Amino acid sequence: MDELLLSKVRLGVVAELLNFDWIAFSELARSLDVSNGNLGAHLGKLVEAGYVDEEKSFVKRRPLTRYRLTRRGREAFTDHVSQLQSLLKTAT
Amino acid sequence: MDHIGAPEARDHIEMVERILAESHQRLCAGGEYFVIWGICSAFITILFQLVDTDSIPGVALWSIPVALTAAVVFSILRSRSTRAALERSSLVQREFFNVLWLTLGLAFITNAAVYRIFAGIASAAIWSVAEAIVLLYIGMHGNRRAQVAGVLVIASLIAANFAPPGIAGYVLGAGMLVGYAGFGVSELLARD
Repeated sequence: MDELLLSKVRLGVVAELLNFDWIAFSELARSLDVSNGNLGAHLGKLVEAGYVDEEKSFVKRRPLTRYRLTRRGREAFTDHVSQLQSLLKTAT
Repeated sequence: MDHIGAPEARDHIEMVERILAESHQRLCAGGEYFVIWGICSAFITILFQLVDTDSIPGVALWSIPVALTAAVVFSILRSRSTRAALERSSLVQREFFNVLWLTLGLAFITNAAVYRIFAGIASAAIWSVAEAIVLLYIGMHGNRRAQVAGVLVIASLIAANFAPPGIAGYVLGAGMLVGYAGFGVSELLARD
């Protein structure tokens, strides 16, 4: 199993990004109901691993950070979820 | 497999399924673009028909580049500001914008560079075809109003084909106004 995606928050981030071109940091924090600090730390690990791309910009002088799932992240997510499903099948 | 137990795995799977189920893949078509381009294309088509029937002088055709430039500038500025303000953008949305720009871009190039083949009313019909493709693409993603609007534009194309030459442009223009611009208005009303 993917060590990075064993964290529920990180798995949630990747699942949120799966069907989207990109999502803003604030929107991710709202959807996943986690604090900004907590989410920032998890996103940092996903960016470092190359699962997620980060894009920083300014909109009306306010900083805007967006995240996009990479191909590597998508593949890791698919593998991880199928392993979770296999584990559940074995357990039942 | 050593790091996670079955209850935790179930919890994670349920969370993933919930998030994916809530990933709303609705197409936000942006009603204002349809209103602007529907009016612009109808204006050009009707203008051509008026000039063709000598109802107004040919010099009026010079208003076409002005109308087109205004519509293009509006679309670029509006698309930039909308994109910047959005907090999330779906893959379906990205695909839609690709289809929109490709279709309308090709229609624009055909009108500007293939005018000897698609002359007169044929150039207006190209716009109707492009508009119908865009509307039916949105309709394919579950938007019933876009389906109806697409059918209306196609119906206007067929009606224009059988209409007398003196009024074919008005029929196409009406299809653009009711189908394309009308769809834009309905989207704006639905958004509010």
